[in-house]
Amino acid sequence: MRLGYDERSAAVLVFPVLAVLLVVAAFPIVYSFWVSLHDIVLTRPLRRPFVGFDNYLRIFDDARFWTAVSRTTVYTVVCVVVTTLLAVLVALLLNEVFPGQRLLSALLLVPWATPSVVNGLMWKWIYDPTYGLLNGLLVQVGLLERYRVWLSDPDITLLLIANAAIWKQMPLAALLMIVTMKAIPEDLYRAARVDGANVWQRFVHVTLPALRPGLMLVLVYETMISIRHFDLFLIMTQGGPGDASFTLSWLIYVETFRSLRFGTGAAMSYVLAITTFALSWAVIRFLGKRL
Amino acid sequence: MTQPALTTGRRALAAAIPSTAAWLAMSPTALGQAPNAVNFIGWSAAVDQVRAQITAFQAATGIAVNYENFPFAQYRTALVTRLVANAPIDVSWISDAWLPEFAEAGWLADISDVPALMRYNAEAAQYCTQSMVYNGKQYGLSYYGDHMSFMFNTDMLARAGITTPPTTWEEVVEQSLRMKAQGIAEFPLLLSLAADTWLIEFVSALTFSFGGRFVDDAGIAVMADANRGAVRAARFLREAIHTHRILSPGAVETGEINGLRAFGSGAHAFAIVPTYRIRALNDPAQSNAAGKIRLALMPKGGPTGTHDTCGWIRFYGMTPGAKADRNRRERTLRFMEFFGGRDTSGNYSMQKMLLTDMGLPSCALPLAQDPDVISFWQRWAGGGEVVAQQAGLARKKDVISPWFGEWVETSNQAWQTVCLGRAEPEAAMRAAGAKWTELRRAFR
Repeated sequence: MRLGYDERSAAVLVFPVLAVLLVVAAFPIVYSFWVSLHDIVLTRPLRRPFVGFDNYLRIFDDARFWTAVSRTTVYTVVCVVVTTLLAVLVALLLNEVFPGQRLLSALLLVPWATPSVVNGLMWKWIYDPTYGLLNGLLVQVGLLERYRVWLSDPDITLLLIANAAIWKQMPLAALLMIVTMKAIPEDLYRAARVDGANVWQRFVHVTLPALRPGLMLVLVYETMISIRHFDLFLIMTQGGPGDASFTLSWLIYVETFRSLRFGTGAAMSYVLAITTFALSWAVIRFLGKRL
Repeated sequence: MTQPALTTGRRALAAAIPSTAAWLAMSPTALGQAPNAVNFIGWSAAVDQVRAQITAFQAATGIAVNYENFPFAQYRTALVTRLVANAPIDVSWISDAWLPEFAEAGWLADISDVPALMRYNAEAAQYCTQSMVYNGKQYGLSYYGDHMSFMFNTDMLARAGITTPPTTWEEVVEQSLRMKAQGIAEFPLLLSLAADTWLIEFVSALTFSFGGRFVDDAGIAVMADANRGAVRAARFLREAIHTHRILSPGAVETGEINGLRAFGSGAHAFAIVPTYRIRALNDPAQSNAAGKIRLALMPKGGPTGTHDTCGWIRFYGMTPGAKADRNRRERTLRFMEFFGGRDTSGNYSMQKMLLTDMGLPSCALPLAQDPDVISFWQRWAGGGEVVAQQAGLARKKDVISPWFGEWVETSNQAWQTVCLGRAEPEAAMRAAGAKWTELRRAFR
């Protein structure tokens, strides 16, 4: 089939973008897969044997991997569930008209606009055992007798990091919810009131079903973001204390950039990417039908 | 409308290609780098001193220097990626911990056949020279050599009625408990046990002082051995945190720099600190405890304890690329001598500047007699006797190996789990030992 003038022009115009995408996206994806099939350790530059899928098999024999899976699961579930719930509550509040509503809506975006590194440093200081705001506040209001360690307590480390993540992520999720809520026709609420529905019933039978697209978006987005979170772990705990915050993304960092094992690091990255896609697909496929 | 736009686009593209090619082909000069210069990479420490010495080097030799630096935390990775990519590096700062893996990878050239540099061994502390030797070949000239020191706050000891600093870890516990009981300090002992690059140096110092070691002379892991391994030191840490409560549980998130600040705040009586920090700790501009911090020999621990500590050195290492090219080699060797040895006036100017400005101890023995150096130690440490005595008892890390970079991740985690009370010292050291054995076998 011969291309017409318009098609040729379009192809010419699209080609630069396509070329850039091939170089910066497609090539690294293919190349990193090739790397994952080799035993590449940067400190042994003369030795990079092809090992097939051995790197992938080795991952599943690695006790650190399963520790990381369990930490990542806990962290992701906490982040996604709490972020979504808070986002819905905040959206319900800000969907109402009250004095200061506009100012509050604007302020809501401040955490979201805060750079991740700043967010991590800020919460690290808040949790600091000697000069942290959290200790100071709790001691002053009498909830704590003396200063205590926070991030060094392995039982709560993940939750504290999740809290920092939720603080930053929740505003965007709330914003998406508000946008979805604004699209709900007022007629539906009027009709529900006429039928005698109370506030809770109106929420369950009118608001929630109408929120489905927004909820789906938030759930998928938050799952994808949380499962791959790295910056907060780097700044706040470096995977510690011990292995308390040793997540998959941290394991990949350690394997690739500290141990300099690029082969297994690439294989782990593929496992994480496939898991992220699979989870997102599952959320869309199964929850999508129910919501 | 479309065609003229496309034509313009093609013209723009045609114009852009040669200019891009020209940019890509630009010489080092055009990119801000001097040609025929020494390409030197270091971490971002003593930057002002390095720049001053570069200026002096350029004035004395006429050789330009391209100087780049990176934060220490990212330095090894940054350097390795550049070496893998064959970046034009002539000389770089190297940690003794990386020597075997860098030498095995072919990224360092030995200087054993360079008499102009090897002659400095006669004037260097023995452990410094040993730390630059791998498989019988020497790979550099020292940047500085230091060791972990036991420091104490004289004011807090006086308030507790303690007249002499502890000589054993048992005494450290006893004196700490006394201070706790008197309300002088909640956590009298300070150790920086965050899982960073410093942790192995802290735990090595502690292990050596308990008469233990991580691996024996044959390279076999003995860290889990109850008598000659690292178990006693690990148990001490666990008890200091959980039984005696003289060491904060927050130690596992305290990095070296934060530990320094905490000790300088005057809230702790005892600490293990790199010796070079004594200047900052006794500087009123940087520390609340200024003038009150003094050094004692590393306390002995347990029945086989010693006053030994962990020493380390950082050195100037030359790349094989620089050594292979006659001109680059000539420039690089002159740079290494000027920085790591004597300058063209015959003085250890860089080493002396690093000590007097930063407190970084030197490997050059003649400097110990220098009046400025003597007065430095007098001013900042109340004399240099303990420093000299402790330096003589410093031992290099016994875990330095081609697989050190990988093993230390497991080791750091093992020590942290002990400190958290999540693992028995024996079990944690067994895990670290097993990883050592696995990596050692894989390397063969």
